[in-house]
Amino acid sequence: MSLPTPLPPEKLCRTCDPSLFTFSTTAELGEQAGMTSQKRAFDAISFSMGIRHDGFNLFALGPNGTGKQTAVTGFLEGIAPGSPVPPDWCYVNNFEKPRHPKAMQLPAGKASEFARDMEHLVEALFTVLPAAFSSEEYQAQEKNIREKFQEQQTEAIGRLEEDAAKKNIALIRTPAGFAFAPVKNGEVIKPEEFMQLGKEEQVTIEKQIEELKNALQAIMGQIPKWQRETQERIKELNRNIASFAVRPLVSELSATYSSIPETVDYLKALENDIVENFDQFLEKEPDEREYFLGLPPGRLSMKSPSFNRYRVNVIVDNSRTTGAPVIYEDKPACQNLVGDIEHLSQMGTLVTDFTLIKPGALHKANGGYLLVDARRLLLEPLAYEALKKALRTRQIRIESLGQLYSLISTVSLEPEPIPLDIKVILLGERSLYYLLNDYDPDFSELFKVAADFEDEMPADDGNRLAYAGMIGSMVRQDNLHHFSGAAVARIVEYGSRIAGDATKLTAHLQSIFDLVHEADYYAGSSERDTVEAEDVQRAIDAKKLRSSRVQEKIREATLKNIILIDTESEKTGQINGLAVYTIGEQSFGQPGRITARVRLGKGEVVDIEREVEMGGPIHSKGVLILSGFLGARFGIEQPLSLSASLVFEQSYSGVEGDSASSAELYVLLSALSGAPIKQCFAVTGSVNQHGEVQAIGGVNEKIEGFFDLCKARGLDGKHGVLIPASNIDNLMLRSDVVEAVKGGLFSVYPVTHIDEGIELLTGIPAGKPDGNGQYPPDTINGMAMARLREMALRLKKFSAPEENGEAKTMMPAN
Amino acid sequence: MEPGMPDRQKNIRFRHIAVAIDCSPHSLASLAAAAEIASHTQAELTGIFVEDINLLRMAELPFTHEVRMYTAEPEKIDPSHLERSLRLQAREAQAALERYAEQFTLRHTFRVCRGKVPAEVMSAALEADLLVLGRSGRAPACRKGLGSTVKCALAGNARNILIMQTGFPASADSTLVIYDGTDASRSSLAMAENFLQAGGTLHILILPQSAGHLETLEEELSELVPADLLRVEYHVLPPGVDNSTVLARYIHMAGSGLLVLSDRMSLPAETIHDLIGEIDYPVLLVRG
Repeated sequence: MSLPTPLPPEKLCRTCDPSLFTFSTTAELGEQAGMTSQKRAFDAISFSMGIRHDGFNLFALGPNGTGKQTAVTGFLEGIAPGSPVPPDWCYVNNFEKPRHPKAMQLPAGKASEFARDMEHLVEALFTVLPAAFSSEEYQAQEKNIREKFQEQQTEAIGRLEEDAAKKNIALIRTPAGFAFAPVKNGEVIKPEEFMQLGKEEQVTIEKQIEELKNALQAIMGQIPKWQRETQERIKELNRNIASFAVRPLVSELSATYSSIPETVDYLKALENDIVENFDQFLEKEPDEREYFLGLPPGRLSMKSPSFNRYRVNVIVDNSRTTGAPVIYEDKPACQNLVGDIEHLSQMGTLVTDFTLIKPGALHKANGGYLLVDARRLLLEPLAYEALKKALRTRQIRIESLGQLYSLISTVSLEPEPIPLDIKVILLGERSLYYLLNDYDPDFSELFKVAADFEDEMPADDGNRLAYAGMIGSMVRQDNLHHFSGAAVARIVEYGSRIAGDATKLTAHLQSIFDLVHEADYYAGSSERDTVEAEDVQRAIDAKKLRSSRVQEKIREATLKNIILIDTESEKTGQINGLAVYTIGEQSFGQPGRITARVRLGKGEVVDIEREVEMGGPIHSKGVLILSGFLGARFGIEQPLSLSASLVFEQSYSGVEGDSASSAELYVLLSALSGAPIKQCFAVTGSVNQHGEVQAIGGVNEKIEGFFDLCKARGLDGKHGVLIPASNIDNLMLRSDVVEAVKGGLFSVYPVTHIDEGIELLTGIPAGKPDGNGQYPPDTINGMAMARLREMALRLKKFSAPEENGEAKTMMPAN
Repeated sequence: MEPGMPDRQKNIRFRHIAVAIDCSPHSLASLAAAAEIASHTQAELTGIFVEDINLLRMAELPFTHEVRMYTAEPEKIDPSHLERSLRLQAREAQAALERYAEQFTLRHTFRVCRGKVPAEVMSAALEADLLVLGRSGRAPACRKGLGSTVKCALAGNARNILIMQTGFPASADSTLVIYDGTDASRSSLAMAENFLQAGGTLHILILPQSAGHLETLEEELSELVPADLLRVEYHVLPPGVDNSTVLARYIHMAGSGLLVLSDRMSLPAETIHDLIGEIDYPVLLVRG
């Protein structure tokens, strides 16, 4: 077997050649070229927006910062202006059922006009109606009607009074009514005088008064009827006068809006209502505030709630809209989506009317597109349900949440629903999409199209140029310093590093945008007109430095030998593994000591991490794979009479992942064979039951973590890292690592099989079995085999029954 | 009369104004007018409430029943209840007077008398320079014509009488005065000027005895009417008009508010009294 050779420097970091860019700075670039990598998502967006059928709403899924919103908005900005402008909507009073305001659709731009016309109408009524009702003609007619009633009453009572007077009886007004009394010389007879009258005369007077009283009662009985008739006549007169005054104004408006039948019907109802309630336009007392504010009389009363009934509440005004609206609702609370009915506090009571209906994002986006962040939508109580209901029923029904859940106990409104024609685009992470798909049966019915945004894109020339174009657009948009070709190339390399793959570029554009801004800051602070590669590097280094506190603390502890990591000697049953720590957005690698001990046993490998529940399931799986490997390699001819224990030394926070399984196998082989492992190496990579080394994540951080420690202790050319060969494409190492490799001070070995690795680590060949399955004795496998055989025999000897029939106690071997 | 009324009104020297209050709408209008005038002339205001003796006697008759206004049901009158009702009315009248007195800072008195209403009012108002009365009282059949108290006052010798009715303020933006050249009409003219609101129109209805007399009257008026009185409208009647109905028609055509006249002009007092009965504007009868 030929041993792997160290990787050449050019394999450690795939650089972006600035000569790829024909521009000297991004100032020479035009608008941003599209990223080819998101074609799948763009096709899905295009399909969803193009199909007008129900339920084909879109869920744009992908990690945050991958430009989902920008992509969708950009696409919509391309198609929306060419679409028809949706109509305006307004709410008006329902004169028959005030609790159910009517929704009225008008052509785009007409609603505001109509609202203004209605305000002018009300203003005009304040002039026209008082003038009509203060006219001499009206006054005379009203007076006539009232006079007629008075005359009717006066004449009837007057006749009775005359009849009474003929009989020397007077009709007298009492505090509460009328009464009759006999008079003499214009004065009521005193009681003693009356008593002196003859009995017959007294009876006659009493009888006469009784008759008069009955007649008076008959007249009084007529009075309410006369009053009603008078009121009816006055009402009829008022109706005629009001109608005569109002009709020309309303007719003029009806003619203006004759092409909109709903408006004409509304104006008819409005005319009737004004005629019935004309008296509210007749201002009784001028408001003092009007005098002080210099307003014409009635102006303030016009603003009073009683005139709200004639207002028009424009909830969608598309007078300035070009094409279909594109709305992004930043706070998708229920009331912000479907609208709300507000209340006012009046005299301690909550009141509302149709003018307090507030539109939601669905109203504004009706006829167009609505973008909503899925996570925020789900965080808002009832908002997701409200949105689904609107999409399912294809109408916007405004319901007061307070009313719905009896939080407000007052009269509220039930506005007429508005038909909904909209495309909703939800933006969210993949996990949300899959969760909704799994748990909400409505979701797949309403959001039939998924635009799955890639996390990364191929690092081909096209996408590198697209990166440059994107940086140029950003510079123009945010008024930053332009970037040189070298600076762009450095950003492209950074994009690969974030992607964790030299053949890819990250699609997490937010990270790139952040780096562009930071590099611009450093260029500015260096008083440069153009951002250079060193500004970009400075930004990258500064970003790393800002979050390196924990990393430095760990390294400091390692250098002080508080955390024991040997990088010089050779040790049996001890190896340097590599782990990645992630804190916030930053990750860093750190070596960790892994040790193994073997003793007589039944062939099990004890994972101490798992025993104390500090190892995750993937790590445990990796350890069990080792047992499989050992069994297959050494347990065919003889029993595995060992018990091995593995541990991550000085690990206090748990271990997960199988990237240390190759290191664990190496250290086990070392412990079994007794061959010491060179501690100047660190190892990463998972392993399968056949001993093949498999790819792992975070390879760059791991290599750099070990490199940093060795560098701090002093590099002498022995130090190096064993990585899976399948991770070569992921290498995007820091320039100082690459330089050290160039100088022969550090090495990175790509390993495909465990036998290669053990030979590199021990300097002893792994050994191949002969035809009998026996390994040469001076190889790792041979030594391990011999040790296992010895252990098996020892175990057998200890397990054999003594003469007295008892087994010997089993003792540990090593 | 509002605070912005002309200063010349202050020239009127009413020392004592009497007003009859029976809590009817006309009498409350009278009280409001009397208070305004008292405020501007710094006169003492006397409110007069009369407990009608006829009413009290009637209550004591054994067979008397009251027909209630809003139920039309007869009910025996209880004298003590009636007394209580009258006392309550008197208190209401007094409270109304005190409200105005407080509003205008007036010296005021309130009298409650018992007897026949017209006689008691006239008797209580003997010392007053101005007697303010509602056009009609509480009697059932006198809604259109003049009340018994007004009739009595016209026939009596009260100095000046202001006859008010609801719906009109004491001061108006137009006032009409009848002028025939007599001293009494000159007094009326002076009084009308004083009652006219600032910026208001003074209508002068000239009543010439003959064609030649008109010229004389016009000359007199040119001297009598102050030059700063901006809006004056003259109306001339044909010579010899002495019919109250014709006069009432002319006054209606002028469409003025307060009518100021005297029953001591060349026209007979009966004609003037008939005119007052026919006209439905407030009237100020000037005698002093």
